[in-house]
Amino acid sequence: MEVYKADVAIVGAGGAGLRAAIAVAESDPKLKIALISKVYPMRSHTVAAEGGAAAVTRPDDSLDHHFNDTVGGGDWLCEQDVVEYFVAHAHEEMVQMEHWGCPWSRKEDGHANVRPFGGMKIERTWFAADKTGFHMLHTLFQTSIKYPSIKRFDEHFCVDLVVEDGRVQGVVAIEIATGEFRLIQAKAVIVATGGAGRVFRENTNGGIVTGDGMALAYRHGVPLRDMEFMQYHPTCMPRTGLLFTEACRGEGGFLLNKDGYRYLQDYGLGPPEDKPRNKFMELGPRDRLSQAFWHEQQKGRTIEGPFGSVVNLDLRHLGEAYLRERLPQIYELAEEFMGVDPAHTPIPVVPGVHYTMGGILADGKTASGLPGLYSVGECSSVGIHGANRLGSNSLTELIVFGKVAGDEAAKFAKATSISNPGAIEKQADAIQARALGIVNKADGTERIAVLRTEMAKSMESGCGIYRLGTTMQETCNKIDELKQRYKKLKVDDKSKVYNTDWLLAIELGYLLDVAQVIVYSAFNRKESRGSHQRLDGYEQRDDVNYLKHTLAYYNGDGAPRIEYGDVKITKSKPGTRAYGAAGVKADEERKKQGAANG
Amino acid sequence: MSNRRPYVRSMDGWWKRDAYFVSYMAREVTSVFVAAYAVVLLFGLVRLGQGEAAFNGWLQYLKTPWMLVFHVIVLAVFCYHTWSWFKIMPKTMPIMFVGGKRVQPGTITGTGLAAAVVACLALLFIVGGVS
Amino acid sequence: MADTEKIIEIEVLRYRPEQDKEPVWQSYKVPFTDDMSVLQGVQYIKDYLDETVSFRWSCRMAICGSCGMMIDDKPKLSCKTFLRDYYPGKLRVEALKHLPIERDLIVDATDFITKLESIKPYIIPKEERTLAQGEYLQTPEQRDMYEQFSSCINCMLCYAACPQYGLNPKFTGPGILALMHRYNADSRDGGQAERNELGYADEGYWGCTAVGYCSEVCPKGVDPANAINQNKMNSAINYFTRFVTPGGADK
Ligand SMILES: Cc1cc2nc3c(=O)[nH]c(=O)nc-3n(C[C@H](O)[C@H](O)[C@H](O)COP(=O)(O)OP(=O)(O)OC[C@H]3O[C@@H](n4cnc5c(N)ncnc54)[C@H](O)[C@@H]3O)c2cc1C
Ligand code: SF4
Ligand code: FES
Repeated sequence: MEVYKADVAIVGAGGAGLRAAIAVAESDPKLKIALISKVYPMRSHTVAAEGGAAAVTRPDDSLDHHFNDTVGGGDWLCEQDVVEYFVAHAHEEMVQMEHWGCPWSRKEDGHANVRPFGGMKIERTWFAADKTGFHMLHTLFQTSIKYPSIKRFDEHFCVDLVVEDGRVQGVVAIEIATGEFRLIQAKAVIVATGGAGRVFRENTNGGIVTGDGMALAYRHGVPLRDMEFMQYHPTCMPRTGLLFTEACRGEGGFLLNKDGYRYLQDYGLGPPEDKPRNKFMELGPRDRLSQAFWHEQQKGRTIEGPFGSVVNLDLRHLGEAYLRERLPQIYELAEEFMGVDPAHTPIPVVPGVHYTMGGILADGKTASGLPGLYSVGECSSVGIHGANRLGSNSLTELIVFGKVAGDEAAKFAKATSISNPGAIEKQADAIQARALGIVNKADGTERIAVLRTEMAKSMESGCGIYRLGTTMQETCNKIDELKQRYKKLKVDDKSKVYNTDWLLAIELGYLLDVAQVIVYSAFNRKESRGSHQRLDGYEQRDDVNYLKHTLAYYNGDGAPRIEYGDVKITKSKPGTRAYGAAGVKADEERKKQGAANG
Repeated sequence: MSNRRPYVRSMDGWWKRDAYFVSYMAREVTSVFVAAYAVVLLFGLVRLGQGEAAFNGWLQYLKTPWMLVFHVIVLAVFCYHTWSWFKIMPKTMPIMFVGGKRVQPGTITGTGLAAAVVACLALLFIVGGVS
Repeated sequence: MADTEKIIEIEVLRYRPEQDKEPVWQSYKVPFTDDMSVLQGVQYIKDYLDETVSFRWSCRMAICGSCGMMIDDKPKLSCKTFLRDYYPGKLRVEALKHLPIERDLIVDATDFITKLESIKPYIIPKEERTLAQGEYLQTPEQRDMYEQFSSCINCMLCYAACPQYGLNPKFTGPGILALMHRYNADSRDGGQAERNELGYADEGYWGCTAVGYCSEVCPKGVDPANAINQNKMNSAINYFTRFVTPGGADK
């Protein structure tokens, strides 16, 4: 097998992986970096992010505001020391992106502009029209070309980490164009493989978002944290799940039920006003908005039609010219995919799975418990999202913690050396044999697409916007069953060049592991918090028993072992999560209390 | 050893593949006519240099039926050439703003065509006035 | 949805380098609904009819640039082209023209990527600035001068539309020249002279004969033909001034 010797290997070339690669290159140009991605970097799913990236910018804003929005938004399941670091370093990273050429939208005076976003008290979301993720990704990719120490392995599919002597010492990848295996030796490995939204059916994620890195780290004993928290985005295209960015509401869009009524006022988010107001109504947090949809549907107030049950996202009052300028991509999506002209007709929308809040357990410096292994981006859980991520915090996370991961991995790599190259190569051979075993199996009977569809359907019923013990139990059983059937998978394509069938089979294995963690973690959390909402006697948040992180450990063929870890609380004691007028009141009370307590 | 064997498709007859290519080729072919007509005019210039009789002979020749047919064809071809040239013109101009608004390609093409028509009319008028 | 299922015939140009000498057409019958894209049609084939059909895709929303194909001989993003527009006829899908076929609908993108890497596609600052100094100021008008050219998703449709590239793959080509112009036109950038060496070369702007089809097929309104042709004037001026000014204009 061909061997490449790197100092730092990075799996994943989305926003997080690219930012980490640049950080390693800048910290020491002598370090050899291997940047591995199963697609060309600019195809990574960061490309799809529309709305923007949060950083305290305006004079009337403060780090405390951003901190409070994030921690409250996460229903107090955030690591507060990490959030403090995050909000403090957000702005300089935005400026860094600007220096690298990111076409941020501007104000007339030439400074970067900010827009409001759901759950954020003050406008602090930097944006590049409605293609923020696209521009950030291309800017990072193109900037990375400047650094000769970054060696890219484009269209290389990572099949495993190599753990030797109790630490990570490389990865094995398939060169997709030839089907050949490659061992990439490295003293430190950063996993930046993105989320796992593809575990579900209707979702906003790309086909490549299959939880690969999560599954790989998990199989090597690193726990996955808080995986029961999956974010539903309230405004997606029915059936395809494609996203209509939150910026639609930030710019002033309304959500209407079948009576043309702004129903969010019935769910503690009012009162309604004509102009968008931060943390009110349509600018409430995503979990609340998705839950409100569910209730409307129960009450028979959604619109039934060719697209199933939907509500309307009404942008008409903003006018065509404004929409074309501020939300050009949304305009195009609605027109081309649905035949709807948003300047004249409201857009039918439904909630869809959007973001994986949990991930590979990492400390505030992105290190996992396994020496040499770091994780960053959506695959990671450094602890800033808690039970519900605020829109526009994750793009910022990519660059703030991408830099941290790069710096930390570089430090680690410089202090270590490869311990036992012979043993590493032997392991790589074993990994290769396992991966080939999937395609060479003679007696397989199960179809990839069938298992994948059954998984996604079951996850949707068990781990939807609202959850019940009984259906979650059914989903646990279903995923267990699918994992058994996966062993009898049949791969029709036996070739080597661009054998995408084989890769889909391996991805399905990753998906099933992650799905199992999600549903078992959810089943065991007997409370309602953030995006995890139960209707079977656990409707309330239970801080006594569950102000805790779920930690799911790999357990071979069996169900994951579920343990719990403490939540780091520094300055914000768990309070009521309230929005709209109730939120203003709660804020005032908290202030009063704070003053009384000194 | 690599199993890759990228397959390169032939470009034979590429310009027939797409209507867009056909119209592009038509634009290229019309430039031949433009050149040809320039030769005709050049010839007239040479004749003028050879004296009035020679020039009148050339003028007579232009009035033969074949040359009239040729002129009709050339006129049509020129119209197409002019149109296709102004159609591509916006592509050759940097992004422009007038009164804070982006100048649209259609405006550039339209302005160009209008200018061409005005110039032709003016020329006809002048020539008509002289003779 | 209640609409009755219709069946459409999709012909795929297959090429499996390990078994096919040359590409062959293979036909599939695909049930579809009106909101299904061509990409979803091809996915249906892979999921239920023939697992061995290979193609690239990811975002499904016309932004990742993976899914370009010739659809009835026109270069298009298959995720935003719809089956309904071809029904009741059949449709043919083929790998993007002018690029070598690796397998089935997958083309070899290495030439494109190598060219992208060669043009210094990053800011070469006109004046250095530290993070503490904050962002470079750029007015919305200055941003408009390059924004359109920065919207390229690297889908390579314009390469499949450009006969000059098909005839001479050394030509830098529309998408990459547009990207070069994107950086040259950015008010923060001072790297024009370095990049112009490539732009003014034979394989640069002058490889273009203003066919203009690239701009027609571009799914993102980048207008690469404009990026190229507005530079020909500068290039020509540069060429002539080189004779007048000793040592050349750009050096
Ligand atoms: C439609 C949409 C809109 C969004 N909008 C916003 C927004 O407005 N604001 C915001 O803050 N967040 C937004 N998000 C969330 C945010 O975009 C993502 O969380 C973030 O981009 C993830 O980046 P990443 O670098 O972690 O992963 P990705 O960009 O997904 O990259 C993952 C990388 O890992 C590689 N990879 C994966 N598996 C393997 C493997 N096995 N072998 C090799 N390589 C592998 C992939 O090739 C890819 O390069 C949005 C998300 C979606 C889906
Ligand atoms: S210029 Fe347009 S067609 Fe060409 S690669 Fe870019 S987005 Fe695609
Ligand atoms: S799938 Fe991403 S552009 Fe079509």
